[in-house]
Amino acid sequence: MGIGPSTKETTLHHFRDPLLEVVSNDEDVNLLGVVVVGTPQSNKEKYYVGKRTAVLAEALRADGVIISVDGWGNSHVDYANTIEEIGKRKIPLVGLSFIGTQAKFVVTNKYMDTIVDFNKSKEGIETEVVGENNVNHMDCKKALAFLKLKMKKNER
Amino acid sequence: MKDTILRRLVIKSFHIEQVMFGKKTTIHENTLTIDKKEIPLLEESEELVKSIQIDILKPGEYHKYTNTIMDIIPISAKVLGEIGEGITHTLTGVYVMLTGVDEDGRQMSEFGSSEGFLDEQMVFDRAGTPSIKDYIIHFDVTLKGGLPFSRELTLATHRVCDRFIQNLRNILKNMDGRKCSEANEYYDRIRSGKKNVLIIKQIAGQGANYDNQILPSEPSGFSGGRSIIDMGNIPIILSPNEYRDGAIRAMT
Repeated sequence: MGIGPSTKETTLHHFRDPLLEVVSNDEDVNLLGVVVVGTPQSNKEKYYVGKRTAVLAEALRADGVIISVDGWGNSHVDYANTIEEIGKRKIPLVGLSFIGTQAKFVVTNKYMDTIVDFNKSKEGIETEVVGENNVNHMDCKKALAFLKLKMKKNER
Repeated sequence: MKDTILRRLVIKSFHIEQVMFGKKTTIHENTLTIDKKEIPLLEESEELVKSIQIDILKPGEYHKYTNTIMDIIPISAKVLGEIGEGITHTLTGVYVMLTGVDEDGRQMSEFGSSEGFLDEQMVFDRAGTPSIKDYIIHFDVTLKGGLPFSRELTLATHRVCDRFIQNLRNILKNMDGRKCSEANEYYDRIRSGKKNVLIIKQIAGQGANYDNQILPSEPSGFSGGRSIIDMGNIPIILSPNEYRDGAIRAMT
């Protein structure tokens, strides 16, 4: 109900994260920063940190958000809530998550309409193979391309 | 419109072509030598640690049975400035793999584990994993048995591994930057007039093996950082350069 071996992001992954590389190298966007937010145990706290994250995005005047998650199942509760809080503030967003066949969202809302699934396993499952179900450059390029479209639409 | 440059980070890579055991821990002419005499000192430094095994896996020779893979860690050191600015030295061609088990044979993982033959339990050449051309320093920790599964066990494992890496960092810090294999410059910048985009990374913060250490003193380190759990899991903002300079130690 959290992170399995195939979805976990190692310290090395964070050090050379394709998501940062793709977004920071794109000359069409101004990268504000990288927010890291945890996944507390209780639902009350999940809502607390999710809302704080959305208020932070609003305060930074973000025109768009890419939000990724390093686990699934219970972690998707936090994820869905944070996305909803950002969506309610009319900030366009794109998600990156492992979904496959095993990790369909346990909760969902209308703002979760653009999620890039970075499952890489044939069966769409948590294979317990380290590095298998992680984001790569292509996933991140896709996410940024979707976000650009959404931001453009939001302008009109 | 012209970009406004906020700060610069230079990451200098030193490529390692050979890793071996020897009488003294050194980095000399693309060779990393590790002194095994360090191991007893490391074992003594943590009460919860029973024993440590260090093994060197040569590129491609990964058909080895290992305990669950807790982390893959780059060997990087701050030379000038703090995380996110100044100069960082890092080794390429070699990465540390941390694995863990306790005396009772319990793997240090919760939601599925990856113990088994390494060549079957890891996809190589991903952002977060070594390539098949890399050496792997396999740092295997056996923790004391009979204890409840707690954060303390995970923290002790990462802490002791960080102490081992710190010995390498102290050497790496003193290497002549002009002799690096590659230098990359990164800038935190404002691209005026462009769409403001924020990256949000939701990371684990629920307990043992669901934890992340934020902003350690050394890149991808442990010491000096704060756990996302201890910070109440609230959102923390990092500059792009802080993030790419190893602001997160994953304990998942």
